[in-house]
Amino acid sequence: MTTASRRRVSRRLIPVLAVAGATLLALSACGTGAGAGTGNGKFTYLHVTEDPATPAIIKELAGNECTAENKSLPYDDQTIAQAQLDQKVQLLAGQKALPTMFSAGGAPAVTQSLDKAGSLVDVDAALTKLGVADNVLPAAKSTIKALYGGNDIALPYQFNIEGFWYNKKIFTANGLTVPTTWDELVADAKVLNGAGVQPFATGASGQGWPITRLISGYAFREIGPSAMADIRDGTSKLTDPAYVKAAQAVADLGAKGYLGKAPEAVDYNTIISDFLTGKAGIMYMGSWVLPNFADTTANKIGADNIGFFPFPTVPGGKGSIDQLPANIGVPTALSKSAYTDRVGAWTKCIAKNFGSAALKKSGQISGFKVNTPVTTDALTTLVQDKIASTKTSVVWFETYFSPKASTTSWNNIASLVDGKMSADDFMKLVQADQ
Amino acid sequence: MTTTAFTDIRPIPKRIVHPSRVIAKVASIVAIVVLLVIEVYPLFWLIMSSFKTQDEFLNAAAWSLPSTFDLSNYYDALVTANIGRNILNSVIATVPSLALIILFGTAAGFALEVLVFRGRGAILLTFLAGIMIPGQMILLPLFNAYFQIGITGTLWPLIITYTATGMPLTVFMMATYFRAIPREVFEASTIDGASMLRSFFSIGFPMVRNAVFTVALVQFFFIWNDLLIAITFTSSSDTATVQVGLLNFTGQYGATRFGPLLAAICVNVIGILIIYLFLNQRIMRGLAAGSVKG
Amino acid sequence: MGSFQKAPHVKSVFADRKAAIILLGPALVIYVVVMLVPVLSSLGYTFYTGSPINGFRFTGFDNITRLFHDKDVWSSLGFTLRYALVVSVLQIALGYLLSLFYLFVLKRLSTLVRTLVFFPVVLPTVAVGLLFQRLFAIVPQNGIVNSVVGFFGGDALSWFNDAGTAFWVIVIMDLWRSMGFYGVLLYAGLLDIPDDIIESAKLDGASGIGLIRHIVLPLSLPVLLSSIIFSVNGTLKVFDSVLALTNGGPGNGTTPLTLYMFQTAFSYGDYGYGSTIAFLLTVICLVVTVFIFRSSRRDLTKG
Repeated sequence: MTTASRRRVSRRLIPVLAVAGATLLALSACGTGAGAGTGNGKFTYLHVTEDPATPAIIKELAGNECTAENKSLPYDDQTIAQAQLDQKVQLLAGQKALPTMFSAGGAPAVTQSLDKAGSLVDVDAALTKLGVADNVLPAAKSTIKALYGGNDIALPYQFNIEGFWYNKKIFTANGLTVPTTWDELVADAKVLNGAGVQPFATGASGQGWPITRLISGYAFREIGPSAMADIRDGTSKLTDPAYVKAAQAVADLGAKGYLGKAPEAVDYNTIISDFLTGKAGIMYMGSWVLPNFADTTANKIGADNIGFFPFPTVPGGKGSIDQLPANIGVPTALSKSAYTDRVGAWTKCIAKNFGSAALKKSGQISGFKVNTPVTTDALTTLVQDKIASTKTSVVWFETYFSPKASTTSWNNIASLVDGKMSADDFMKLVQADQ
Repeated sequence: MTTTAFTDIRPIPKRIVHPSRVIAKVASIVAIVVLLVIEVYPLFWLIMSSFKTQDEFLNAAAWSLPSTFDLSNYYDALVTANIGRNILNSVIATVPSLALIILFGTAAGFALEVLVFRGRGAILLTFLAGIMIPGQMILLPLFNAYFQIGITGTLWPLIITYTATGMPLTVFMMATYFRAIPREVFEASTIDGASMLRSFFSIGFPMVRNAVFTVALVQFFFIWNDLLIAITFTSSSDTATVQVGLLNFTGQYGATRFGPLLAAICVNVIGILIIYLFLNQRIMRGLAAGSVKG
Repeated sequence: MGSFQKAPHVKSVFADRKAAIILLGPALVIYVVVMLVPVLSSLGYTFYTGSPINGFRFTGFDNITRLFHDKDVWSSLGFTLRYALVVSVLQIALGYLLSLFYLFVLKRLSTLVRTLVFFPVVLPTVAVGLLFQRLFAIVPQNGIVNSVVGFFGGDALSWFNDAGTAFWVIVIMDLWRSMGFYGVLLYAGLLDIPDDIIESAKLDGASGIGLIRHIVLPLSLPVLLSSIIFSVNGTLKVFDSVLALTNGGPGNGTTPLTLYMFQTAFSYGDYGYGSTIAFLLTVICLVVTVFIFRSSRRDLTKG
């Protein structure tokens, strides 16, 4: 290449680069949405991508029951992956720019620190002032208070209870009855295992909670409904014998192979699929799984074939079988600095209509009253009845843990059920990060 | 030792076919096949899996073929998840940053390696230090700054941040390339009466053209595949880039919609492949012209 | 630097202050404002504890002391260094072998092979993570790797339940992804070696290993250096491949410093301590780079 032709190239290249750059810079300015800040004249909802159902329901309300509210304060939808939620919430909180309504942190600890910093609206007080407080189910209210340090700072867009789901056909074929004690549960599992059916559909790939919640389930039956709050308050330690016993009980399930071949490699999808294809007989899961049960292509065993039993009791334990674990999914909170009368109007409309809209649109059970009757399937009705009859609800294993202890618990649970780590060591490790 | 001498000798070893040559030939063919299987099979898996239903993905063997080739996953990816908008956002964020990185980075590399002024060694070292700064470290201050000047919610934070983070490596690499060019080349141009500034645009930049394409390629993939910066500075789906958009296929409690996710990945990959083939041609053409050898 | 100060008149031509400001200015301003200033301000957080939600509290050197007593820091530092060493060495070695293969074996026919082998680097990390999870799966079915292990009579392994095996899966994944990239990068460098040098060396009787060792390797040192800096830069800061494949587990067996820093600052709500960890990483990176840079400078001026 000669110098002359080089020169030509560069003369051509540089203006092209410059023009391309300038054009795209200009274009990028067109792609502007409003900032995630306050006072942008919108009802901004920052939610986790992992929960597409709730924003879809609110969007539907915006077009129907809440048209007037939406007109005065248009609905605006922003998403964030759950893994990045804590970071985003912190960055926005640091700028005092929390969106009008938002998923307030993955771990309750983050939600509580937001609350402590005075960033969140007291939902109960706000709803009372708006005259719609009776639209929140009492059970949901008490669950929220139990989860977030006695303060009512979340909108119960979901209300889930947890327990064991079982395959009725498999139970009948093996002559099993629904267990009410831990020993019966283990005995049932033994029969299933002998018959070549994987007893429990569970796993810890990606997220460890499907197994760690068995530990807390056992601990609540052994110690009573205050078991995890005692850890938070420091009156007990995870290394106390009663807690280690709970971890040991779960480790034993793993040692006997009842949790499947390699639970550490099983992710959430596979857990559900193992249960819904009849590969496994029992699954511990929250009632958020109901839409999966209703999905006829994924559910090969049929919804009529699925039954529910609560976490069984432990001989000599202080807990009772009707104390069900409950939660509200990722908590949704209202930003105090963005809360105006128009936001209040929106909140009022949501409180009145969300319950029935959620049930109708996606079969989602919320903590809001269902004001317009909706016909539901048998399993949904069963869960609603369970919720109505639950007087004391309990929490999950990591509820009151520091975020670091939660990570430690999730990342080491596979080693516990695999026999690589003793129950004592597991609890010691988690306690150390408290 | 001219090339003519070499071409004269060449036919001789060609006629006598040594057994060792045959072995070498077979070995190299085997090597190529193994290499291609290792590198290409996963791609095939990706495309096949993008047609599978959730049920097939979970319950059929990983290497099985999809039962039907229906496009519902692609429909989901393009319409429901709006991957088209994500690709546009990625392009809008990538191209200007890339142009700025190249223009400013090459100029700075030239200044630091060819020009003489006090403190240039120190400045080069400062840039070098920048290569090693973990991206996580600048997120909080930058977020606050962008927020204060009111550009969050646009693609500006991405363009600015990518330009800055790409700068150290580009400056350093360009300085290395300029080091290989004899200074007499630039000296000669100044004797013609051109200033150093002109000699950069007329001689320096064209001479490292191949290096520019290499660096552009490298930076392109850094920026295109970035998740950390993109996720920190985008929140609405209006500004989500491809990598952020891919996160939309996970459900609450850890569920993943595999079919649409893989379809979105395939769309993304095919787009990128076209860009790569285009760039690759440019690089190879440039290299064939052999201009860096100067 | 300073290699051409012998001719004073040359220096005066190259000492063009205006050109230097115009050419260097924009890059320097952007770099200083968008990178250096934020880094320094983050360094300031090293002396604080807290998060943007709760506000910050001055703690002096507590974070530094804590750093030295935090066993999680040491284990993630160990992982980072082990990973960076193994992956960088293998990345460069495999990439170099590939580039030699392209140049001497495939010659001009190599474009297609080059493109195909390069391809994985364009795949999003999420996709590659998913792919490798499937390849190394044990449930619901054995993945290809376990099938091969089974074929040779071995027991199927649960690759992700042991920090040791999980480490190697991450290494293999990153090598698979980046090998073609380094192949192309280094190949571009090899093409810059004048053909006549190689041909004349061949005539002098050099061939095979000897040719590569004495002629090709020294001549490709500059591009090798760029690649090494490049590779070390990427591997010391490994983040998303780990996140996509193992999320740092089992336990914290595959947690690199970057992930631990991110968790500490944003999930555990201690931005100050997170900054301290990032500071440690920056110092390590700096030392490594300056080391490579220094030794290369010496080589280059000699060679």
